[in-house]
Amino acid sequence: MLSKMKTTAAAAAVASAFAVPASAELTGDLTIFLDTSNPAPRATMEAMIGRFGEKHPGLNIETTVIDREAYKTQIRNFLTADAPDVATWYAANRMRPYVEAGLFEDVSDLYAEPAMAEGLASTKGALTIDDKQWGVAYTYYQWGVYYRKDIFAELGLSEPTTWEEEKANCGKIVASGRACYTIGTKYLWTAGGWFDYLNMRTNGFDFHMDLAAGKVSWEDDRVKQTFMNWKELIDMGGFIADHQTYSWQEALPFMVKGEAAAYLMGNFAVAPLREAGLTDDQLDFYQFVKINPDVALSEDAPTDTFHIPANAKNKEAAREFLRFATSAEEQTIINNGKNLGQLPVNAGSSVDDDKFLQQGFKMLSTNSTGGVAQFWDRDAPAEMAKVSMEGFQEFMVKPDQLDKILSKLERARGRIYK
Amino acid sequence: MFPKPIEKQSAGAQFAYKSLLPVALLFWLAPLLAVALFSIKPDADFTAGNYWGVPSSFEGFTNYGQVFFNSDMPQYLLNSFMITIPTVIGAVALSSMTGFALGVYKFRSNIWIFFLFVAGNFVPFQILMVPVRDLTLSLGLYDTKAGLVLFHIAFQTGFCTLFMRNFIRALPYELIEAARVEGVSEIRIFWYVVLPLMKPALAALSVLIFTFIWNDYFWAIVLTQGPDSQPVTAGITSFNAQFRAAYHMMSAGSIVAALPPVAMFFLMQKHFIAGLTLGAVK
Repeated sequence: MLSKMKTTAAAAAVASAFAVPASAELTGDLTIFLDTSNPAPRATMEAMIGRFGEKHPGLNIETTVIDREAYKTQIRNFLTADAPDVATWYAANRMRPYVEAGLFEDVSDLYAEPAMAEGLASTKGALTIDDKQWGVAYTYYQWGVYYRKDIFAELGLSEPTTWEEEKANCGKIVASGRACYTIGTKYLWTAGGWFDYLNMRTNGFDFHMDLAAGKVSWEDDRVKQTFMNWKELIDMGGFIADHQTYSWQEALPFMVKGEAAAYLMGNFAVAPLREAGLTDDQLDFYQFVKINPDVALSEDAPTDTFHIPANAKNKEAAREFLRFATSAEEQTIINNGKNLGQLPVNAGSSVDDDKFLQQGFKMLSTNSTGGVAQFWDRDAPAEMAKVSMEGFQEFMVKPDQLDKILSKLERARGRIYK
Repeated sequence: MFPKPIEKQSAGAQFAYKSLLPVALLFWLAPLLAVALFSIKPDADFTAGNYWGVPSSFEGFTNYGQVFFNSDMPQYLLNSFMITIPTVIGAVALSSMTGFALGVYKFRSNIWIFFLFVAGNFVPFQILMVPVRDLTLSLGLYDTKAGLVLFHIAFQTGFCTLFMRNFIRALPYELIEAARVEGVSEIRIFWYVVLPLMKPALAALSVLIFTFIWNDYFWAIVLTQGPDSQPVTAGITSFNAQFRAAYHMMSAGSIVAALPPVAMFFLMQKHFIAGLTLGAVK
């Protein structure tokens, strides 16, 4: 189940013998639990922990890497029974149960420090519950519309910024015999991405979060307006046929073959598209268009986080580790193209040269004033997310069933939130 | 004779049979052929939608190299052996003894005890999922190979007992009586008279149980997690990354995972077929 790695460098021990013990010298054990079980992220994290260990030779660091899926069930156990000093998790609603159960340490004091207050402003909201912060982010990635630049050029289209332009573009793409958007809704969450954007653009970030928190009725006219906007794209044949039978990966070939022109997806879609032979001249990115001009733009940017369990034994060292992991320098290293290939959370970090990461970082830091959402299945409670995403999928296949679907979701809301 | 041998059919029927057989065979093997084909393809072919075509580059060595040298597969394979072999030994040993007891001794509730063993086979194992999981958890055996082995032995012994008891029943009872007349103790009768006669049944049952347990997926995911204890059937999905399913790696991993039972089948084919038909034909 667990694989262990001890990082007590002999060289570091020698170095510490000569060093003058500073007052901030950390000692004791530091246990870190990671869910970054895939080879590349795992190596990145272990290297980062190695660098932290070199800085604090008096510290005996033990790292445990747990399979990402297994971690999701084991966290309940280890936070109560045998808590590590640092544990990875996810922001927003996904951390809420543990915050409310008093299992995560309040780290608001870290955000009060000037360096953190300035550097981590962009993800502070995602880690705030009841005006307190419960952890730090270490990586995130943007969502947006990835499109075939060459197809746009062939049809004489440009990147849209308004809903009218988006629909006009889509009309021309459909007329050329292609679908505007590829999507695979077999595992539901991809439809959640569309709902996130359409609802945030139609009704704004705060309304979207209220809906996720169960404070608004699903039969509200504003929610209906979101679905009406969605229906316009569905009715004009904007989405590929039979999308309910594909996974998100199985929907990629439509984009590669040029049968669909765009994909609303997270930045992780870029790597397979490039591997399949699309060059940066063929592939580009634009921010999801404005729908309601009165609404500030907000984005989906799922965030991975570090937390200190309330039962941790070495909280002082854990805090130092959180400072280290979010420092501008470390953030630059772990998020570069050779490592995680995602966005750094510290405003002082530099972003990898990759054109998509550059655009994403710019978008999130300058053009997402409404707020940053985590993604529908992280913002809404798990049960509601499941029921609602099934509803989204059904709606995409049978848009005329909208009223029935919404009343089903409304009933689910009454049952789930209480 | 039924069915009528193909050589005695009309020429037309023979021709149709001979030409349709390979087609049907290909059709039946299509999923397996797909897995074999996928295992030598590069990842990019899946994103490009090239599912059935010629691989854009031959990646067989890379994929299989990854499986053996850069993944937890060797550990998962080892786990599979460490789960399967003790289970085979345990289930076969226990069932030869229960089979002997139920087959040789005549006592009052014999048939009812026998039915208890048989009835175990009719319980759909899915309904045992939650209780067995809770049981292993409270015994401290959750997520251990020992827990999986113990459960498999307990569950397989039912079927094995049925098999062994029927086999022992078919042995000439005079041999046992003769030994008793000579004053041989019961335990020595079992060891020196019955067990040697059971060799074909032992071989057939071992092969059968080996493939059953090796191919078990359900209990592997219910009772274990992670590379320290999971067998290879459950470990194959560990090739999937956070966002992407690695079809090429899973295919290569599946081929590797399927090799031991397939090898077992071909090496012990005679016993395997004997195992399936033993007791069926009088």
